[in-house]
Amino acid sequence: MDMQQKNTYFDTYNNNTHRIGRICVILILLILLAAPFAMGLVVGAAPDLKAFAMGFMSIAVIYIPSCIVEFLIYTPMLGAGGSYLAFITGNLINMKIPCAVNAREMTGAKVGTPENEIISTLSIATSSLVTTLVIAVGVLLIIPLQPILSSPALQPAFNNVIAALFGAMAYRYFRGGMKIAALPLITMTLLCVLVPSVISSVSFLIIPSGAMAIGIAFLIHKNQQKKELK
Amino acid sequence: MEFNISQLNAPGLFLICGAIILAVMAVCVLFMVRAWRAGIAIGMDRKKLKRTITASATFTLIPSISILLGVIALSGTLGTPLPWLRLSVIGALHYEASVADIAARNIGMTGLNATEMTATAYTTIALLMTVGIIWGMVCMVLFGKRYCNRLQRPKESGKSGAGFGDLAMKAMFIGLISAYIGSYIGGFVSLPAHDYMPLIVMAVSACAMAVFLYFVEKKKISWLDNFSMAGSMLVSMAAAVVVGLIV
Repeated sequence: MDMQQKNTYFDTYNNNTHRIGRICVILILLILLAAPFAMGLVVGAAPDLKAFAMGFMSIAVIYIPSCIVEFLIYTPMLGAGGSYLAFITGNLINMKIPCAVNAREMTGAKVGTPENEIISTLSIATSSLVTTLVIAVGVLLIIPLQPILSSPALQPAFNNVIAALFGAMAYRYFRGGMKIAALPLITMTLLCVLVPSVISSVSFLIIPSGAMAIGIAFLIHKNQQKKELK
Repeated sequence: MEFNISQLNAPGLFLICGAIILAVMAVCVLFMVRAWRAGIAIGMDRKKLKRTITASATFTLIPSISILLGVIALSGTLGTPLPWLRLSVIGALHYEASVADIAARNIGMTGLNATEMTATAYTTIALLMTVGIIWGMVCMVLFGKRYCNRLQRPKESGKSGAGFGDLAMKAMFIGLISAYIGSYIGGFVSLPAHDYMPLIVMAVSACAMAVFLYFVEKKKISWLDNFSMAGSMLVSMAAAVVVGLIV
């Protein structure tokens, strides 16, 4: 196959990747959105749409920009096929990106080339299949442990999953970002101490807290740009 | 009707989640086969393609176990099927746990916990966890082709445009964590229950993360980083059990 044929073949492959990718993503989206309602039939209760709307307002401000930023940053690294798969299967930062980058470095493929597209897709597909299988086997093994996991002695652990998560995340994010963290952290602490009624509305506190942090980050970014120009 | 947490492990839920996971696996196989055939067709070395698959499989094995630990961490409050689905498809541990908590608070619970869980809370949490994270997929459907094609064109300037995006994402999470830390301190200082447990758990988790990062960064044991998040969570959750038994 000469270069001309290779390019023509690859253009067709790429167009089909987008077509198949879009169809697959739409189908997966539909079944994912239907799943909570199907689960409702099993447990005997539909989702509370009013609570859903309230919750969505809180998470949208954080996670929609986050998803868009991930799309903008990671798509160039992963190529078309890799991106469709990675956004379907998730765990981008902690697994799919390092895995694809590792495969690319190992094979010497350059970003934006047909080789990178192939390597990246193969790498992410393999990674997704292995993860899914490992989790499935693990889930089968933990089913017999369910009575232990739901014992009263373990409830303090499961009632504090979020604190456990944010403790670890706080160390990771704050140690390099105290300039960004100081103001929202002090403000939120003072607010919750002085006006305890807002504690139950922490999902709304995320909005001003996130806005403050992004504002400070923007100022830091601008200052860095100015320094670089000088 | 009294709700029992064991209802969240009903066979029907396993069936629903298992079917979706199977569909996603089928998509992975489809993309894998297409990429393999295209690689051969454009003249790539078979050995290189095989090495990519083998290396990716081995690279993924250890981080997969850390994701499994995340499923275990969430299974006490959400049952096993939902965390299994969420962490196999689209999800990531830090996202799933925080969104589940936001959903729980909006439905009238004091936070994500097993003791207050109801069937309505469960399905609402499941819906919110799904809708909150689908936007990467939506972007791919709406703009994926145009964006990829644009990236293949030569750049007009040296600017990447991604500089602030990365910092903004970090800032968003800092804002999120700050709001939660504030609420835990406020809950301890100002509420009648003086609940100290979240603060203890948070402190232990942060210390555990510091230890993990010490070994990753100073001792260069980089594979340990794959376990840092789930490992820190499990250590601090174990601390909560110990404190609960002592007090």
